[in-house]
Amino acid sequence: MRKTLLAAASGLLLGALVSVPALAAGTGLIFVSTEKGNEVVVLDQELNVVKRIETSRRPRDMHFNADKTLLYVACGDDDAIDVIDVATLEVVDSIPTGPSPEVFAFSPDEKIIYVSNEEDSRLEAIDAETRVSVQDVPTGAEPEGVLVMPDGKTAYVTSEVADMVHVVDTATGVVTKNILVGTRPRRFILSPDGSELWVSCELSSEIFIIDTATNEIKGDSLIFVPPGFREEDVTPVGMAVTKDGSKVLVSLGRANHVAVVDAKSHEVIKYILVGRRAWSVDLSKDESKAYVANGLSDDITVIDMASLEPIRSVPVGRVPHSVVIDD
Amino acid sequence: MALAALLMGSAVPACAADVLVGFVGLKDDVRYHPEVAYTRIEISPALKPVEGARLGIEDLKIVTEAANVNITLDEYEAADANDAIQKVAAMAQAGERFVILDLPGDIVAQVAEATKDLPITLVNATAPQDALRDLCLENLMHSGASDRMIADTYTQFLRHRNWNKVLLLVGKEPRDKEIADAFQASAERMRIEIKARREFTSSTDPANREENNTMLVTGGVDYDVVFIADSLGEYARYLNYATQLPRPVIGSTGLTAAEWHWAWDRDGATQVTLRFQRLAEGGRYMSPEDWSTWIAAKSIATAYAKARSDDPVKIDAYLKGSRFNIDGSKGYRMNFRPWDRQLRMPMVLATANAVIEPAPFPEFLHQVNELDTLGVDEPESKCKAS
Repeated sequence: MRKTLLAAASGLLLGALVSVPALAAGTGLIFVSTEKGNEVVVLDQELNVVKRIETSRRPRDMHFNADKTLLYVACGDDDAIDVIDVATLEVVDSIPTGPSPEVFAFSPDEKIIYVSNEEDSRLEAIDAETRVSVQDVPTGAEPEGVLVMPDGKTAYVTSEVADMVHVVDTATGVVTKNILVGTRPRRFILSPDGSELWVSCELSSEIFIIDTATNEIKGDSLIFVPPGFREEDVTPVGMAVTKDGSKVLVSLGRANHVAVVDAKSHEVIKYILVGRRAWSVDLSKDESKAYVANGLSDDITVIDMASLEPIRSVPVGRVPHSVVIDD
Repeated sequence: MALAALLMGSAVPACAADVLVGFVGLKDDVRYHPEVAYTRIEISPALKPVEGARLGIEDLKIVTEAANVNITLDEYEAADANDAIQKVAAMAQAGERFVILDLPGDIVAQVAEATKDLPITLVNATAPQDALRDLCLENLMHSGASDRMIADTYTQFLRHRNWNKVLLLVGKEPRDKEIADAFQASAERMRIEIKARREFTSSTDPANREENNTMLVTGGVDYDVVFIADSLGEYARYLNYATQLPRPVIGSTGLTAAEWHWAWDRDGATQVTLRFQRLAEGGRYMSPEDWSTWIAAKSIATAYAKARSDDPVKIDAYLKGSRFNIDGSKGYRMNFRPWDRQLRMPMVLATANAVIEPAPFPEFLHQVNELDTLGVDEPESKCKAS
């Protein structure tokens, strides 16, 4: 039933119905947004550039719809979320947002887009179909990470300046709780069972874990010290979790490494050397590979998840922000 | 305020503590007069660094209110040093624990000395003199960069570029000498060769051509780069493209080191610059002085929010301690050095409209904290960590 809803929604967005099942197979394409290149770079599995899709300015966070027919890209300098058709690799639509959208998340039914507008310090909820802003939740300055719980009732958003995670009741658009975390909180991941929310805090070099049942911080924060670095050199931002919830990948920013963490024991299994200022990280569907966007070396690094070794780095464009894979 | 109230809804108990944070500036501070050229045309607007502190308090409002603290900036413009001393004493009397000082160096020294036994901590935001750091006063912190930090930024850059021969030009103002001395000390440590140190003057007196003619001032010696210490800026402005040898100019013109530049676009800096522009009168860009008062206010507000105590002594200790860490939108975590209470920070080297390099440079390593490659480090300091 959820599938039908999604197909209908995407159909409306495109303005024409698309034959969804044929596309849902997965093209294997890798999409990289480049903040200063104003494009989404598309690579195939062999890491050849297939296409450079020109977008609105400063493309950053990206998400597919559930059946992966459409890719949504938040474009900070043009106040819009561009929509790319995954089959044709064209920008087919653009949804206006508040000023400087950075990170966003869909409601589980994909009807609402929750987007952090870092300029006017709001979490904005946009009706994907009508384009109307249905909620505007004030946050601390520079909101960034956004995550909506699978039941759709709660959204979490970080404020980089306030060092807080705001808990938002999506029904009323009211902040029900502020959770003080480390310095400059950036992104979230949710454990597959929904019980733990991980928050990366860039400038205190920590990951905080929030118990989603109580919205309290659970246990000690996680810290990372790759060989040859000090704690203060580590600026964690992006994270990815395996489907079984056993491992979490954390990009360590200025420390130029990705940490692979045992999600239960919180021990670091391995530090993997990648490019300069490693930010976003994503796993392939079969979890054989991980892809890391390196903001200051203009490339992405591919990691072999079996050996936990970097395989290759490929230049993509100016200031890569996010990587997502259609597989 | 409305925002925080809305956010917190009914969650705010009625017993939120009201806290005043002092801010003492100087009436008609010559440092902040608009830079005027050609009699009527302004090169840059008048500065009013209190606006940075206002933004710092505002930025942290949501956090301080969540911690049940309602912070208000208690602003004052002193007529002179005595007035400033009396005001700070009155602020301490009224129970204020922290005062941000936006005063010239000589007045900062007098105020700090006169109030050192009062239960009040001063945060010097805009006086860069190293002599103030060398006072080693328990009650005096520094949120702006010191002259030596600025000088080390230049010399790291010169080493990084391998421009190792410098012609040092210095004006006749006492401030020019301070800047030049800091540069020279830093250059000596970095083994950068000062090929000559020469004075300049802005008059066109033909009898004094060796000091006022740019060709003569920069001639007769070989160098990779010119460093000019000109606090008034008048002579420096005409030095680019006017040197005897075709060499770049750094210092008071050309490439300038500072705490902040509006063109820095990483680490959320753009958002800070834009928030400041919205708040500042005339929508001006955030200056290095504005950044320094902003980070001072932000640090104090953060200490109130995160010290986990409402005891001012503990809040003060937290602000000065190693647990404290703050984001200045320059990509590094920052805190105050335990020996001279100077804020550790990265710096930027910028032209009029672009940041060319941030410092510290990756080649400069340090056994404790890379940010301590900029400025007087613990072993060289007269002060001891307490």
